[in-house]
Amino acid sequence: MSDQDRADLLALYRQMARGRALEDRVNALTNSREFRGFFHPGRGQEGIQAGVCSVLRKDDYLLYAHRGLTYLTAKGMDPVRILGDFLGRVGGSTGGLGAGTVHCVDVENGIMGQGGTLGSSFTLSAGLGLASQVLKQDRIATAFFGDGASARGTFLEAGVTIAAWKLPVLWICENNGWAVSARLTDVQGTDDIAPRAAALGFYTEVVDGQDVRAVQAAARRASEKARAGQPAFIEAKTSRVEGHYTGDVQPYRDKDDVAQAKERDPLLLAQTQLIELGASDADVSSIWDEAVAEMAAAEDRARLSPEPTGDRIFEGLWA
Amino acid sequence: MTSTEITYAWAINHAMDEEMARDPRVVLFGQDVGRMGGVFGVTRNLFEKHGPERVRDVSIVEHFVVGGAVGAALGGLRPIAEVQFADFLLVAGDESFHKLPKWRYMHGGAFTIPVVIRAPSGIQGGVGAEHSQSPEGHYWHTPGLKIAVPSTPADAKGLLKSAIRDDDPVIFFETRRLYRVKGLVSDDPELLVPFGQASVRREGTDLTVVAWAGMVPEVLAAAEMLAAEGLSIEVIDPRTLVPFDWETVAASVRKTSRLLIVHEAPLTMGPGAEIASRAADELFVELDAPVRRLAGPDVPIPQNMALEQFCFPQVPEIVAAARELIRW
Ligand SMILES: Cc1ncc(C[n+]2csc(CCOP(=O)(O)OP(=O)(O)O)c2C)c(N)n1
Ligand SMILES: [Mg+2]
Repeated sequence: MSDQDRADLLALYRQMARGRALEDRVNALTNSREFRGFFHPGRGQEGIQAGVCSVLRKDDYLLYAHRGLTYLTAKGMDPVRILGDFLGRVGGSTGGLGAGTVHCVDVENGIMGQGGTLGSSFTLSAGLGLASQVLKQDRIATAFFGDGASARGTFLEAGVTIAAWKLPVLWICENNGWAVSARLTDVQGTDDIAPRAAALGFYTEVVDGQDVRAVQAAARRASEKARAGQPAFIEAKTSRVEGHYTGDVQPYRDKDDVAQAKERDPLLLAQTQLIELGASDADVSSIWDEAVAEMAAAEDRARLSPEPTGDRIFEGLWA
Repeated sequence: MTSTEITYAWAINHAMDEEMARDPRVVLFGQDVGRMGGVFGVTRNLFEKHGPERVRDVSIVEHFVVGGAVGAALGGLRPIAEVQFADFLLVAGDESFHKLPKWRYMHGGAFTIPVVIRAPSGIQGGVGAEHSQSPEGHYWHTPGLKIAVPSTPADAKGLLKSAIRDDDPVIFFETRRLYRVKGLVSDDPELLVPFGQASVRREGTDLTVVAWAGMVPEVLAAAEMLAAEGLSIEVIDPRTLVPFDWETVAASVRKTSRLLIVHEAPLTMGPGAEIASRAADELFVELDAPVRRLAGPDVPIPQNMALEQFCFPQVPEIVAAARELIRW
C-alpha cells in the first residue's frame, strides 16, 4: 500500500466517475425525450472500460461498443463532442449526423468509431492492427464487445487471421451474461468466451470486471503482449445493472439478479479500496462532484452549437 | 511512351505492380494471391516482387477480406482486397454493403476509405449459380461505393490505377471471360483512366447501345453485323457505373433517338432499369422508340455449360433487338 497505489486508484476512480456522470446526463436526456434514440447504459461496467483505457496510449486504436460511454472519455474524448452527438448538434463529433446509436469519433485519440451491426469491430480491428504492423507504428488496436456479439462469425474469421499474422490486437469481451433479453447460457453452450479466443491462438486473461484494479493489471499484461505481436484477449465478467436500453424495465429478468448486480458496483468497490488505501471520504466525494460539474458544463457548451439543416445529409459521402 | 499488347488479366497485374512500386501503403490480400499468384493468375509475381508483408494469403474469411480492408484503410494503408468470385462478396454482406460505403459518412467524414475490392464476375466455364453472377446492380443500389466495370485491357489497367489512388472505396468488377483477351496497353505508369468518363466504342447514328464489361464485345460484334445491313450503331461503354457519365449517354440518344441497354445481370431490378428510367424521365421527347433492355433472364445460372449460354444476351438477340428498335 503506497501513495502511488492510492493515486493510481484515484485516477481510475475519476475516469469511472466521469463516465457515469456523463451517462447520467444522457439518461436524463433520454427520459426527457430530448434525445429520442436508444441509449444502452453501461452502469456497472465502467471499471472494465476505465481499467483497459488506462493502459492505452493516446494513439492506440479504440473500437468501442454500444454499452456505456466510459471508454470514450477515458480514451480522451471531449464530452462536449459526445453530448453534441446525442443532442444532434453540428458541434458533435459527427457534425450533426449523430444521435441514436451514436457513431462518436475522435481520430486524434485513436477512437475509430462504432458500427450499427454488432461484430463488425472484429474485422475492423484486424485491419487496424495490420496497418500498424505494416507501417511499423507500434500501436495496438482494441475492440470492446459483449458476450452476445462474441457469437458473430466475424469473431472466427478475424480471429484466425489476427493470430496467423500476429497482429497487435487486443479484444475485450464485457461478459454481462445478457444480450437484450437472452440469457447467455440459454443461447450459447458455455458461460466462458475466453477459451474460444485461446483456441484461435490469443493470449487470454479472465478477470473480475467489477474490480477496476484487477482489470488494469490484466490489461497491462494483455496490452504488452499485443504490442509485442501476441494477439490478446480479456474476458471481463460483469453485470448489466440497467435494462438493455434506457427505459427497458426488464420484465424478463429476476429482481434479485438486478439487486445483486447493483451491489457489485465498481465505483462502490473502488471507494472501499480507496478508504483502505488512506483516501478520505472528502477525496472520494470531491471526485464525483467534479465529474458531475464537468458534465453539466459540457452539456451547456454542447447546447451552444446549432442543429444541422436538411442539406447536411448530402455532405461527406465522398472524400 | 510505348504500348504493349497484353491480356486483360495481365493489365490488371501491371496496374497493381506499378501502384505497389509507387506507394508503399498499397497492400494486397485475398485467397491464393501470394505464392500461387491468384486462381486466375492475375496476381502472379507480386508476392515475389513486393514481399510477404504486403502481399498476403488469407484463409476462407470473406468477412475479414472486406472488413479487414476497411480497417486497414482506417489505419492508413491503401488495401487491394481480392475475392475469388464476385459472388463471394455477398458472403461479406455487412462489410461490403455497410462498413465499406458507410463508415466514413456515419462518422461525419472523419475518415477516407481508400479500398479497392477486386471481384471477378460473370458467366464462364460452367461454375454455376454461385460463381457466375454479375452483382454490380446490388452495389449500384448502395450509396457510397464507386464501381468500375472495365471491358478492355487498357481500361482495366487505367481504371484500376485510378481506383487504387482514389480515396473512396471502389468495387472493381473484372470479367472472367475477358481475362485472356489481348489489347494494346500503355506502359506509362502515369496513364490513368478517369472514373465517370464513358468511352464511345463505336460511333453511329441509328441506335445507342449502352453496355459494359463482358457485354461490350458482344455488342460490338452485333454492331458489325448490323453495319452490313446499313444500320449504324453507337456503342457506349460507361466504364464506371459510379460515377456514371450520363452526359455522354444523353448526347448520344439526342443524336440517335433510340436506346438499348445490354447487361449480363438479371433483368428485373437490374442496372439497366436505372438507365432506362432516367432516359424516360429526361429524354422522353428525344425518343422515337421505347427504351429497351436486354439482360440475363431471371433465373439462377445453371452449371451446365450448354445452358449457361442462355443466361446472358447473345449476338443474335442483340442484332434482333437493335433491328426492331430502329424499325419501330
Ligand atoms: C448484427 C446485429 N444483430 C443484432 C443487433 C441488435 N442488438 C443490439 S445490442 C444487442 C445485444 C448485444 O448483446 P451483447 O453483445 O452481449 O452486449 P450487451 O448489450 O450485453 O452489452 C442486440 C441483439 C445488432 N445491433 N447487430
Ligand atoms: Mg451481454
